[in-house]
Amino acid sequence: MSPIVSCRGVEKRYRVGAIEVPALNGVDLDIEKGDFATLSGPSGSGKTTLLNMIGGLDRPSSGEVSVDGTSLKGLDKNRLTEMRLHKIGFVFQAYNLIPVLSARENVEFILQLLGVPAEERGKRADAALRDVGLEGMETRRPAYLSGGQQQRVAVARALVARPAIVLADEPTANLDSKTAEDLVGLMADLNRSLGITFLIGTHDARVMAHSRRHIEMTDGRITSDEAHENADAAQ
Amino acid sequence: MNALALLMPLAWRNLWRYPRRTAITLVVVAVGLYSILCFAAILEAWAQSSRDTTLNLLTGSAQIHAQGYLDDPTVSHTMPPPDQALSQALAQPAIDASAARVRVPAVVQSEYKTLPLTLIGADPNSERALSSIPRQIAGGAYLSTPSDSGIVLGRHLAERLKTRVGKRVIIMAQSVDGSLAQQSFNVVGVYAGNQEIEDQYAFTGIATAQEMLGLGDRISEISLHVASDSDLASTLRTISAAAPGLDVRSWMQLSPLAAAMDGFMHAFVYIWLWIMFVLMAIGIVNTQLMAVFERTHEFGLLQALGMRPRLILAQVSLESALLIGIGVIIGMIASAATIALFHNGVDLGFLARGAEFFGAGRVLYPAIAPLRFVEMSALVWVLGVAVALWPARKAARANPVEAMHYVS
Repeated sequence: MSPIVSCRGVEKRYRVGAIEVPALNGVDLDIEKGDFATLSGPSGSGKTTLLNMIGGLDRPSSGEVSVDGTSLKGLDKNRLTEMRLHKIGFVFQAYNLIPVLSARENVEFILQLLGVPAEERGKRADAALRDVGLEGMETRRPAYLSGGQQQRVAVARALVARPAIVLADEPTANLDSKTAEDLVGLMADLNRSLGITFLIGTHDARVMAHSRRHIEMTDGRITSDEAHENADAAQ
Repeated sequence: MNALALLMPLAWRNLWRYPRRTAITLVVVAVGLYSILCFAAILEAWAQSSRDTTLNLLTGSAQIHAQGYLDDPTVSHTMPPPDQALSQALAQPAIDASAARVRVPAVVQSEYKTLPLTLIGADPNSERALSSIPRQIAGGAYLSTPSDSGIVLGRHLAERLKTRVGKRVIIMAQSVDGSLAQQSFNVVGVYAGNQEIEDQYAFTGIATAQEMLGLGDRISEISLHVASDSDLASTLRTISAAAPGLDVRSWMQLSPLAAAMDGFMHAFVYIWLWIMFVLMAIGIVNTQLMAVFERTHEFGLLQALGMRPRLILAQVSLESALLIGIGVIIGMIASAATIALFHNGVDLGFLARGAEFFGAGRVLYPAIAPLRFVEMSALVWVLGVAVALWPARKAARANPVEAMHYVS
């Protein structure tokens, strides 16, 4: 079976004034369907850059990225946007909810972009919020939700369209340890119960403890890629 | 996907996210449009008043003369009274008044001075319906019958001649046979107008003037008033057809200066509209650009989530359309209320001399045609939304990664 994500020789160089700074140095990586993988490494190791390349938010200087069998290389801005909409769910460090929309509307927003009819949209958004434990908070706007609750809404939003993969960049960085533990547990549960593939960029040992695959990056290269059994995975 | 259903709630709620900035834009648009519409109404009133002041004195909406009269306005170029065809044409419903006149250059002499003027032989009954001069009597009375042998002078002319009501003056003019006709007239009235008019025109009964000049029943001109400007051209065509040998001219041809002033007033409204609009556009673009910069991160997020750039462009444009639309509605309501408040007239008594200098009457009646009112408001809305497209394009062009790293 072909991988959900495939990176081949991905390089990314940024120009800062006259100097070219390498951020990724020939990354080769496959993410398989159903993976719950973490991407770790020190600051500046290229985790976020690699997630951006996989998510189609940025383009590699060279090399190729494919998501769910589609090469991102030849896609223009509009097609990349469509690809993100249909195939990728994002969870960001800073929650990034739309402030003028309620929790339900934030989750529904993706379905609206996909053209899902209103009635079905409401049902699916409520179900997604129920899955992340936010039943009863559907009408609250982000300003009236705690950090942990906002991040749960972000997870519900990322999952509601059943994407090929959810990319999460430091999802627990702004959360206290209890909330962070709950959130990671929730994502691991959703991975098991719904079969959704997760790739999580993180420093957080608690997140790594839940993962079944641990990818280590240093200086824009993958330095280790290990599968390991953990308590969650054993269940 | 129903784009409007997706964008409308977002756009509407975003409007009220930054109440201060929204209020500033609303004030800019509403005050700008208010000033445009009120200024247009006052200029329109001024143009109307100026036109009425000029045309209601003697000119009317149009005049009929013998060919050559306007180049040589003497007894040599007179015409017979209206025949049946012309009388029928003058009786059409679009014409609400007409008056036949004798009008020749003459000289007036008092005990103290001799001055040039234009002698007008008038039918008082017809003139009352057509001209404002019978209502502008400052002393004595206006003429009473077509054969009235008295004379009505302008106030300033009477002062210069050192004469007054009850005294006599002598009028001299060339008669039909080329001899000098002269006749003594009793001053029966003095009228007030602007100084130039007061110095130029003196009135006696039309029959008296015809007899003095040996004209028989011939006349110099017919002045007529058409109630609606929109009927003027067709009315004049009918008259020209009824009197093919005569010279039929509209007030625009007879008073090119008044016509030019009228055109200038209308053009100036649009000049003012553009000046105000440039100021408004600066305000709109500034506030919308600020809004876009502050929300750069959000636009990056929307793209990351799968919202196409053209939808972001549509969303920001919709926000601008709603915001400017609300400003336009406020401006329309405020200006309509102000114009309605003054529909009975604005008395310019405190600057009457100045107003007279510019040819306007003492009271202005601010008004604006409903179509023009809506047209100008719509123009401001369309132009406002058009200039707001620039900030909207900036929002749509945001690179998602750079935008999401942007901290306002």
